[in-house]
Amino acid sequence: MSESLDALERRITGLRAEVRRAVKARENSLARSLRGDLRRAEKAWDEAISAEEPVPASHEPEPSLLPIREQVHQALALLGVPAAARLVVAVNDAFFSRALRGPQLTSLRRDEERSFRSDPYARPYYLCAALTDRLSPARGLLADSTWEPERRVLGPLSPRVDFLTSTMRVAEHLTRLPDPSPAALRLLSRMAQNIPGAVESFAPADPAIAIRAARAELEVHHAADTRQRAEVAARASSQLSDVERLFGAATMSTLRGAC
Amino acid sequence: MNGRLDELRGPVPSHPHDARAIAALAANPGCARRALLDAAGVDKDRTARHVGFPAPFGQSQFAITRGNVFEALVKENGCAELLRLLRELLGLPVSEVGYQDVENVGAHLRHSHTRALIDRAARESEETAVFYDHPLFSLEIAGHTSYLEPDVVAFQLGGRFHIVEIKSFGVIDGQAEPQKVAGAARQAAVYVLALRTLLAELGHDPERVSHDVVLVCPENFANRPTATLVDVRKQLAVLRRQLARMTRVDRLLEGIPEGLTFDLAPDRDGVPTRSAQELAEALCQVPARYAPDCLSTCDMCMFCRDEARGNGSTDLLGRQVRDELGGVSGMAEALGLAEGTLEPAEGQEEVARLLRTANLLREECLR
Amino acid sequence: MSALTALAQLRAIRDGIAQPITTVRHCHLAPHPMVFIPLRLAGEAAAPMGAMVGTDPGHPRLLVVPQPRNRDLRFAFTAELAEVVLPYIEGFGKTTETIEKKGGEPYERCLDAPQILVPNPQAVTFVGLLGRSTRFRRVDGPYPVHPSVPLLGRWLTYFADRSQHPGSSLLLTATEALGAHWATGQSGLEDANLAALLGWIDPPEGMTGPGAAEEAEDPLLWPPAGPATDPGFDNEVLGPAVRAYEEAPTERAVERVAQALRTQLEPTWRLMWRSVELLRALPEGARVKDRWDVDRGSFTRFLERVTEGGPPQARRDGAVGAAARLAGLERARASYDVQRAYDDPLVMAEYRLTGEAFAGTVTAADPEHTEGEGRSRKLRPLITVRTEDQVRLTPGATVGSPDRRGHAAEIVEVVDGEVTLKITKGMGRGRTPSPGSVPEPGERVTYTSLTDDFQSSAALPDPELTPWTHGGPPQEYVPSDEDAQEEWS
Ligand code: SF4
Repeated sequence: MSESLDALERRITGLRAEVRRAVKARENSLARSLRGDLRRAEKAWDEAISAEEPVPASHEPEPSLLPIREQVHQALALLGVPAAARLVVAVNDAFFSRALRGPQLTSLRRDEERSFRSDPYARPYYLCAALTDRLSPARGLLADSTWEPERRVLGPLSPRVDFLTSTMRVAEHLTRLPDPSPAALRLLSRMAQNIPGAVESFAPADPAIAIRAARAELEVHHAADTRQRAEVAARASSQLSDVERLFGAATMSTLRGAC
Repeated sequence: MNGRLDELRGPVPSHPHDARAIAALAANPGCARRALLDAAGVDKDRTARHVGFPAPFGQSQFAITRGNVFEALVKENGCAELLRLLRELLGLPVSEVGYQDVENVGAHLRHSHTRALIDRAARESEETAVFYDHPLFSLEIAGHTSYLEPDVVAFQLGGRFHIVEIKSFGVIDGQAEPQKVAGAARQAAVYVLALRTLLAELGHDPERVSHDVVLVCPENFANRPTATLVDVRKQLAVLRRQLARMTRVDRLLEGIPEGLTFDLAPDRDGVPTRSAQELAEALCQVPARYAPDCLSTCDMCMFCRDEARGNGSTDLLGRQVRDELGGVSGMAEALGLAEGTLEPAEGQEEVARLLRTANLLREECLR
Repeated sequence: MSALTALAQLRAIRDGIAQPITTVRHCHLAPHPMVFIPLRLAGEAAAPMGAMVGTDPGHPRLLVVPQPRNRDLRFAFTAELAEVVLPYIEGFGKTTETIEKKGGEPYERCLDAPQILVPNPQAVTFVGLLGRSTRFRRVDGPYPVHPSVPLLGRWLTYFADRSQHPGSSLLLTATEALGAHWATGQSGLEDANLAALLGWIDPPEGMTGPGAAEEAEDPLLWPPAGPATDPGFDNEVLGPAVRAYEEAPTERAVERVAQALRTQLEPTWRLMWRSVELLRALPEGARVKDRWDVDRGSFTRFLERVTEGGPPQARRDGAVGAAARLAGLERARASYDVQRAYDDPLVMAEYRLTGEAFAGTVTAADPEHTEGEGRSRKLRPLITVRTEDQVRLTPGATVGSPDRRGHAAEIVEVVDGEVTLKITKGMGRGRTPSPGSVPEPGERVTYTSLTDDFQSSAALPDPELTPWTHGGPPQEYVPSDEDAQEEWS
């Protein structure tokens, strides 16, 4: 293997010299193709040297015994509201297995939808979408199919309401732990920083204060949000099929259904 | 006129301009070559590549990732970070928190949905939101529609629309790199203009779009965002002027020969078949005004620099050098005057005397 | 920029090689400077990716951060950099001299001072930011670092600040140092590329300046001199190497990143030392030493401040501090310009071109001429100089001359290329001028209205007396916990 590395290195040096000559001779197209060769040779060198490495023991944290969907479910249950993948991963990191990675969540909703379509209601719960006021699935949000419909739809105020709610839930969960992890405290601090009066600058957040502040702001939005959500939920239940109620309606002429 | 422009471009769709490209239109307003290529919607990058002078611009994946991560952070949880910043910066009341993700409707409907939402906000009807995430605007550039994607539009009830521009360059102890701030301001000005145009079309007062854009950057060495208002009135004025010039492109068209085209004549797989030589000759038919600044603003820069070198123009060295040479534009001319091998023309005596003295002084000191 | 430089640029194009614009070197060049070439992770303000550093051209030290987003690795890099840089800096503190100052306390000054060379001004910015991001770190508390990290941070901050001081040579950039001595046939923007600039100044065998410069613009042949890396390299070579490290942080993975960075740094390393050779070959200007003395003094004071345990530099200057700093920089700029003209006839020529200086031959002299009667009778030698230069000085103007230190004169009359001058300073205290102090007929002389006696300090209040309108007296800067714990992502 190392012999081919040597050969590659010789080839790289040779190519460099040739590129130089071609540039000097103003042979632009030759120089361009030589440069391509050079890049390829460098890539091959890169690959060769990596291939020499023994595959090391994984440094990942202990893999969780739970399947991914259950880990997500666990985090969603803690939050109690629709959440983006990033927040789900952060909650998992702070309180649970710490084994969840963002990319693992990208195709989750699609898989769940497929499973539901082939065998509706076979599972006790599905990880589904939150619906926008146009009844389309909200981008990037995950929800729990067992939640009441009002919780799974969104009005314009809902992202804020859900953020405040999830901050409270995180804080409440923290108070129940005898020895919360630093990651959990960091998560709460980061969330609380964006709520007026929830945290003193740079001090770690106090769960009780965070809950009080979040609740105070929640009071302001609560009535309007509830009204808007009820309206969207009513439309959803009268207009949508079962599968659409969980995974959202395609907006006019969307191609989503086709793929 | 559009027929003529289409002919210049050849049978391919007009190359769309993004905000950065539109902002760069104002970079070298005196250049007819660029004005024409842009008006015709020619893909300058491909053109430059095809004539053997690719532009030296590239973006590192590290920078792209960093930008995406920071933007996601600012926008997560319904723009929670941004809300905190705007509450401080604009004094938003606690009740104003609405968030609408325009992209929820799917890519092809984004533009019309943006219009509808902005219209609703401007009427201040129910369900007005503060944040419009992933909006899509359009702007007419010399008869062609370009689509623009600002990061976020913020709307304050009873007040104004603000363009929010999220950039991942750091603000350290209250200071950021001036060129980067200037670049962000130019880009944001394009969005302001597009949103004002939209409001006017919808019958609202375009001035409801603030000329103060909200620039959001990471503070110090952390990821924590900070926001500042940046006044883009000047950038807007420059931009308007340049766009107005581009609509007067007919005057530029007057001077160019019949049948001239920058068509790359792509075959079925999109590979250009036009001879590079021929294309280069076609480009040279339209006068350029090369300046070193082109090297950071225009895809054609390597080609035009090579041409300017061939012409022996003092433009190669930059405006300042030309000024020092008393505005003499030819290198041979300036040297001839300095060395006394060339008789000064009428009105050139003073410059000639200066150059001649300078030359004698140099010789005396380097003897 | 002047007409002379513009002309030199035109000649550079015609002759295919850079042209000198000075006759002497105007910066100090240490016998053993330290070359430092930092690379930064694209998209980040101050995340180091790697660096090449050292004082021996044959033995560069390569420092690597295999995953620059990892703060521990970043601080490990800084600690390693400190291992190289701090001993070099501190070595100069060992030998000092005592300076007796007229009307002041005698003080100590280091016999020599460190000199750091970086490729370009962006590298200086990076040095400053790296200093800023490390000088407040603590050795205890939540994110402890090695004690050398905050110390290095203070030094880097000092060097970056000092480089803003015109005429200082403690931290020099290769592009600016070379650009101050040669004019190329390309624009300033293109001169910012070290390889292209050197291509014009010192093209390889068988190549012309423009040919070498053009080749230098190809990032595959000549990687950029940093701190920004070539995007193509980032995407095709570095990116995969960093990802491989993330997946498996082994020795091999580190070596792979190191190897990749070495290909980017080594060419610049050679260019840096080539720049040193080229600059060293120029004879040193007469006043370079004076300015280096000032640098040594400044270095010594900062060293004392560090040793005495003074606090790190503040995040921002107070109002008076900032104003004083600006005034200081302006004075230094003016003084540096004058000194260069006095040291270098080719620089002086720029002032002759504008009429602020003239050179010529002495045609007549009256060395014993006096003015006034009795006790107020003063020695005022007269000389007449014939010049071809366009003189734009008016009678009464005070002029100095690069030919004699401490010499001053006054213009009496300018008629038809003949200038009559009255010498007012530098003839000694006797009744007749001391020998050699008055130019003799036939001697070639230069006079200029540029002089280097600036008011020593503008009328700014002491920092303690800052008016309340400007925020009141500054608090001594005490870094807070907030400084130390500042998040670093
Ligand atoms: S690079 Fe050429 S086309 Fe572009 S602005 Fe400059 S001169 Fe005009």
